[in-house]
Amino acid sequence: MAYEQILMRNCREGGDPSIKQYKAAGGYQALDKALAMKPDELVEFVKGANLRGRGGAGFPAGVKWSFLPPNRTVTYLCVNADESEPPTFCNRVLMEHDPHMLLEGIIIAGYATRTTVAYIYMRGEFTEQFHVLQKAIDEAYADGLLGKNIRGSGYDMECYIHRGAGAYVCGEETGLIESLEGKRGWPRIKPPFPAVEGLFHKPTVVNNVETLACVPHILTRGLDWWNGLGTQNSKGTKMYCVSGPVNRPGCYEAPLGITTRELIYGKDFGGGMRDNMKVKTVAPGGISMGFLRGDMFPKPDGGKVDVTRDCDELDCLLDFDDPRHYGLLGLGTAAAVVVAEDTDIRDVLFNVTRFFSHESCGQCTQCREGTGWMHRVAARIRDGAGRQYDLDLLAEITKNMGMMPGLSICGLPDGAAFPIRTLVQKFRPEFEKRIGEQQADAAKRRILQTNPAAYDLPILQGRAVQPAGGTYMTPEKLKRN
Amino acid sequence: MPKITVDGKQIECRDGVPVLQAVLEAGWDVPHYCYHPGLSVVASCRLCLMEMKMPHPQTKEMDWAPKLFPSCQTPVKDGMEVRFASEGVASSQSHVMEYYLVNHPLDCPVCDKAGECYLQDYSEKFGHASSRMVEDKHKNPKKDIGSKTLLYSDRCVVCSRCVRFGDEVAGAGELRVINRGHRAEIDVFPGVPLENELQGNVVDLCPVGALLSKDFLFQQRVWNLRSTPSVDPTTSAGATIWIDHNDDRIFRVRPRFNEKVNEWWISDETRFGWKYVADSKRLNQPLQRDNGAMKPLRWEAAPELLRRLLDEAASADQGVGVACVLSPMLSCEEAWLLSTFVRSRAPQATLVTGYVPVSGPDKTFPKGFKISAEKAPNRRGVESIIKAMGGPNATFEQFVKSAGDGKFKLAYVTGGYPQVWLTADQARAIGKVQTLITHDLFESALDEYATIRLPGASWAEREGSFMNADGLIQPFERALKPLDGVKSDGQFFHELVGRPGLYRGAKTREAMAEKIPAFGDIFVPRPEPEHAH
Repeated sequence: MAYEQILMRNCREGGDPSIKQYKAAGGYQALDKALAMKPDELVEFVKGANLRGRGGAGFPAGVKWSFLPPNRTVTYLCVNADESEPPTFCNRVLMEHDPHMLLEGIIIAGYATRTTVAYIYMRGEFTEQFHVLQKAIDEAYADGLLGKNIRGSGYDMECYIHRGAGAYVCGEETGLIESLEGKRGWPRIKPPFPAVEGLFHKPTVVNNVETLACVPHILTRGLDWWNGLGTQNSKGTKMYCVSGPVNRPGCYEAPLGITTRELIYGKDFGGGMRDNMKVKTVAPGGISMGFLRGDMFPKPDGGKVDVTRDCDELDCLLDFDDPRHYGLLGLGTAAAVVVAEDTDIRDVLFNVTRFFSHESCGQCTQCREGTGWMHRVAARIRDGAGRQYDLDLLAEITKNMGMMPGLSICGLPDGAAFPIRTLVQKFRPEFEKRIGEQQADAAKRRILQTNPAAYDLPILQGRAVQPAGGTYMTPEKLKRN
Repeated sequence: MPKITVDGKQIECRDGVPVLQAVLEAGWDVPHYCYHPGLSVVASCRLCLMEMKMPHPQTKEMDWAPKLFPSCQTPVKDGMEVRFASEGVASSQSHVMEYYLVNHPLDCPVCDKAGECYLQDYSEKFGHASSRMVEDKHKNPKKDIGSKTLLYSDRCVVCSRCVRFGDEVAGAGELRVINRGHRAEIDVFPGVPLENELQGNVVDLCPVGALLSKDFLFQQRVWNLRSTPSVDPTTSAGATIWIDHNDDRIFRVRPRFNEKVNEWWISDETRFGWKYVADSKRLNQPLQRDNGAMKPLRWEAAPELLRRLLDEAASADQGVGVACVLSPMLSCEEAWLLSTFVRSRAPQATLVTGYVPVSGPDKTFPKGFKISAEKAPNRRGVESIIKAMGGPNATFEQFVKSAGDGKFKLAYVTGGYPQVWLTADQARAIGKVQTLITHDLFESALDEYATIRLPGASWAEREGSFMNADGLIQPFERALKPLDGVKSDGQFFHELVGRPGLYRGAKTREAMAEKIPAFGDIFVPRPEPEHAH
């Protein structure tokens, strides 16, 4: 069945991103509605909608706004348009085709949080989108929608675009703030949280593009409509991306809670696999959320979720809660990367580790050294010189990094750990098979080739005790988290 | 004073310090790299993690939270309960130590830091004997980043202390982290080398062997060095320092924590200001003028000779024609002994504050570190002694003028400056004194007029105390044996006064405090817990 296109109503080839078109489609009516309300009422209204952040973590936007200290004079709104998660492009599509939807959301959110200046932190690689959005901002200024005394309400707000320089970590809210201040994009330690002390040491709200684009629609169509969409804790409509060997890769809109299978095989979505291949694996929320097993595995008995068994996991619902039952970090950006059955799982692992090794900011030790180490291990496995032990090693390294057990400042290492851990756990039989097919002493030869001195490494001679494995993050602790 | 419980033991801590600082002060050994009490907290090394009791989200009972917290970032709060002695903390520490060695070259045998390196210490205590890393190591380059400093970035642990020091304390901001991930390294901007006046501190700050002093490079293994507490002799600020020496040679000078003066830092002037101690041009033989030519004088004969000369000069007029120039390079004890000696023979002798070198204005850095313009350690101490002794006194300019007018029959002039301190005109004026006794480190323009020339000892070869510009009296110890042929000034003055036995700074200070009570009040900095530097 086709879902109503709300966020993506103007997303088609040849669509007109101008203010004229947007107003003709009923745009900027929500703004009038918002300006008639008091800012605090508006915050309560959005809280009531349980609008969860679309950037990845799913934190409710209204709650975020209510953390701002009450007696503040300056507030900043940072719009996170640094969309760098590997297969994700929904913000890009939105900004390209309907920039005024984002701007209306920014103005409403700005009014609700009494923002003085809004900064759109845009990914540096977005060139065309920058020009489209800048044109839209100019139009909005000309129309009195930005600047002094917006629509005669007495509310002033400025809006600027800041273009990033191509760093994944600048999509983390405090990394974004540091970068916006002109510094190296190293995430900050929290507390203080940005709502209390953010950009230029002032209270700051950081929201994702899509989150803000949802706000006008909640206002015009009402809470009942919004809460009628989606699943229990995940309300509303969401833009999904699907990429890989599917028939119709692209960006599609649907209410939260469609299944991964629908996203891949639905005729309004991915439209099935190319050449009728089977799915080997799919990362349904951008690669940092982790991987699901595809339908080349048998269906589970009785539909019960059991990640320890090699079963088809494509029935995972794409909302904020269900992916966790499959050992994933969360919904993330809802951008699915599909990997077909003819792909070597070692290549998938290599690509994933390469990305995180390249993008780790270098601040916390576990992430800085761990991602690089895992990348080199993955490269060796891909080259046909892996060891069984490497799989245990990878699993152990992934368990000892991340923000959830308190081992790092930001969430990037969690995002690095989950895909690698899920790959190694869920595809261990295939890894073991590949390693079994290697020449018997391939690993040893490769190690001696890189480091002749390794011949005497006690570890290779089996003389020394391996450093004890284990992790701080035991299952009980994970459960409580 | 908040009380917190650490590993089941209750400790009292200072207000507002992080848990890490509190437990280090209480004697725990908690590994850490990025934390430094003098710099901002970044909590990026993830070594000082601890477990903390928090209310359970459902039951609200206090229980160990299922995650770790950086103890450097968590301020102490009364009643807080934390632990470091747990399996989880130990497991996290051991993993982090393994990560630190993933790309480290393990070149300890040729590393200057070996022996005082916290990568070695922590690896031994918290890490592993073997590594599981069998891949190609990523090797960052070795770089020459300034006239005094080298950067071996392959050894770097990216704690960013040096970067924060440059930004916050030195205010220069020359160092930055470049690149991401395990390729991250410290660097300077092109064409802007590390050249600030506090740059030597980054070498001390570095917990590993990444930042190295060119001056100390390959000079000495650190376990051969002995450290003697001392006070900066180059300026009047009175920074406390360690002299690291071996075999009666100084190898380097490091800052010694001092909460009232220099905190953890010293300027490069202090750090490299000891070179004159080992100068081959130093005087090492007492000389006496005999028929116009200088002849060697035995140290043993010198006291008797000086007493006779002084008595002759003072016999007629109680010593109105006698002057004694007390150099601000002398310690308080030495100045007191010498002035006591002179006044005992010539009660009306003029006591003169020696020449005080000054260069430029005082310089203050962003966090309050000061480089003082006055380039002598003890001007204030000498002045207070002269004031306490009473009687005639003069400034150095007045003395030169009076000497030029032929007012003095005998003058005892102490120097001890590392640089040239007299103009030829001043020397000519002082040269009018009939009996001129000089006591100096190097040859000077006074030599041609001197009746007796005594070689002095440098500050590292003496002991005593300096009173800094703010009036703090700080003792320093003797690090080296005096040069062959040189007697330490204090010992010589001790013999002049006729005291029995050997000169000791502390003993002399006691005797001095009986006469001048202000000198009983010395300042010793509070001992600092061992930080990773």
